[in-house]
Amino acid sequence: MEKTVIDKGLKVFENGGGAKLITHLNSCVHCGLCAESCIYYKATGDDRFTPARKVDLVASVYRRYYTFAGKYMPALVSARDLNEDTANEMVDLLFGACTMCGRCTMHCSIGVDIAYLVKMGRTLLSEMGMVPASLQSTVKAAVETGNNMGIPTQEFVDTIKWMEDELADELNTKEAQIPIDVKGKKVMYTLNPREPKFFPLSISAMAKIFYAAGESWTLSSNMYDITNYAYFSGNMDEARLIAKRMWDEMDKLGTSTLVLAECGHGSRALRWESPNYLKQAFPFKVKTSVEIIADYLREGKIKLDKEKFKEAVTLHDPCNLVRSGGICMEQRYILNEFIEDFREMTPHGIDNYCCGGGGGQLAMSEYNERRMKTAEVKADQIRKTGAKIVVSPCHNCVDQLTQINFSFKLNLQVKTMAELVADAIIL
Amino acid sequence: MTWYTLFFLISLLICLANLTYHLIFLLKSGNTPDYAPPSGSIPSGIQYSFTGAMSPVKKESAFLHLPTYTAGIIYHLGTFLSVFLIFFMLADVIFPPALSWGLASFLLVSALCGIGILVKRMIKKGLRELSNPDDYISNILVTAFQILMGLALVVSNIFTPWLFLAAGLLLLYIPLGKLKHLLYFFAARWQLGIFYGRRGVWPPFKNQKT
Repeated sequence: MEKTVIDKGLKVFENGGGAKLITHLNSCVHCGLCAESCIYYKATGDDRFTPARKVDLVASVYRRYYTFAGKYMPALVSARDLNEDTANEMVDLLFGACTMCGRCTMHCSIGVDIAYLVKMGRTLLSEMGMVPASLQSTVKAAVETGNNMGIPTQEFVDTIKWMEDELADELNTKEAQIPIDVKGKKVMYTLNPREPKFFPLSISAMAKIFYAAGESWTLSSNMYDITNYAYFSGNMDEARLIAKRMWDEMDKLGTSTLVLAECGHGSRALRWESPNYLKQAFPFKVKTSVEIIADYLREGKIKLDKEKFKEAVTLHDPCNLVRSGGICMEQRYILNEFIEDFREMTPHGIDNYCCGGGGGQLAMSEYNERRMKTAEVKADQIRKTGAKIVVSPCHNCVDQLTQINFSFKLNLQVKTMAELVADAIIL
Repeated sequence: MTWYTLFFLISLLICLANLTYHLIFLLKSGNTPDYAPPSGSIPSGIQYSFTGAMSPVKKESAFLHLPTYTAGIIYHLGTFLSVFLIFFMLADVIFPPALSWGLASFLLVSALCGIGILVKRMIKKGLRELSNPDDYISNILVTAFQILMGLALVVSNIFTPWLFLAAGLLLLYIPLGKLKHLLYFFAARWQLGIFYGRRGVWPPFKNQKT
């Protein structure tokens, strides 16, 4: 491995991590008590997947080049050279065996931000050009076409017009619209590209909610993709570019509130990371769709039919929205408004287990088998609730839950929050 | 002043200078500015990070491993006690026999906890693979310090030089390996409190009402 490549990777330890990075790199005491907090360890029992091992991979490289003991007595503190073997092991464990769900962080006996160190490790690998090809191609599609599925603008517009016709037919009024590129509206709504590509009904579900609430809103045909897989690949330049497009589009359309579609990592990347990518505060308001639906309910702008769902419903908490985003009670408020038989998983909320699809796993086909093995944990959680419907305010989670439903024969319906609410809305 | 107390004091000075360097380096590195508007309270997050989040009821790493967690707590208490007592030893303070035996008994228990943790590290495959020489040396130094403190309390004359020698070696070793978590533990929990507090995750549910 060339020295220039290694130097590029090592720059991660010098650029911008500040006290937080130094602290977490120096804090792990190798107690190993984090193992059971990880779905990879829990599902496989493989010691390699212990979160502390992932921390140690990153920290051992840091120690080798930046600490006295690591430089002069590497064997004492297991300091490792950054070479091809180390980098390949990092790719396998940091990309292929971690969803960056942060559950281990919350339960670490010391308080090491393990998910953050995994992300820094991914950034190091990204600097060295070692992002798994499948994940990088998803990022590339977003960078080159404006959405991660490379949907041409005309195809997107046609899909939206089709959904608008369907919505108008369903509600029997031409006033139920899905506006595109209309300037001066209050809200610009975003989408996960899987919606126009595979699940357009979730777009009309949210449009129905906006119509019922009398919201002033629009979609953008130029930049609607809420996802930012560069956050997972660790390439901060690409993450910044993707985020900036959304900011620019808000400015272009003159909208005052950005409403984030049901996408855990996209919400996190925009709400919590994009101001730091761009080094400035938001010039507009940002809300997740879960928050805005809860607001509509509180303000009496929408009413829900409490008789609509008789089946037991359970909720899957997306890690990025809940554990890393603090949105925990809004989705419960919504469900308690109209679901008679709502059953929590054990554990739930900020302690919930990841579905296994986060961290870019769904985009990395190289690790499909491992991903579905970890899904056993979530399948077991869902099965124990006895629910017939599982709802999750995250399209990635919904994708993974749909695969779990099929693979583990759970025989239930998987829905987004907007789909569930739209089905029960009273007009 | 004896040779061993001099060795101890020099070691203490070197250790403190090293840890001060680490602390100043940390403070100078500072926190990168966060431009995202907070949705929670950073002070509340930090407070929870050092209190509720550490509770064995909340922390899975504790409640799933209660024997190890309990041993760890006792072991740390034994270390704090030994550090506290060595300054009395330095000042030639002699405790009443009953107190000395009481303290030594506790140190025996805490040292046994340390040995238990060491044995666990050696026999559990996953933990052994995670470990490096520093993990073993750190444990051995701290455990030896506690044992010698206990012995020095009840059999003063014979073990006092060995105690100061062990304490000096421990102090010299602290900045090299994982024992510097005596500083970074607090920094880590502080940073975690900032992160989760700012995002309204800690304290749990405080900013989210149904």
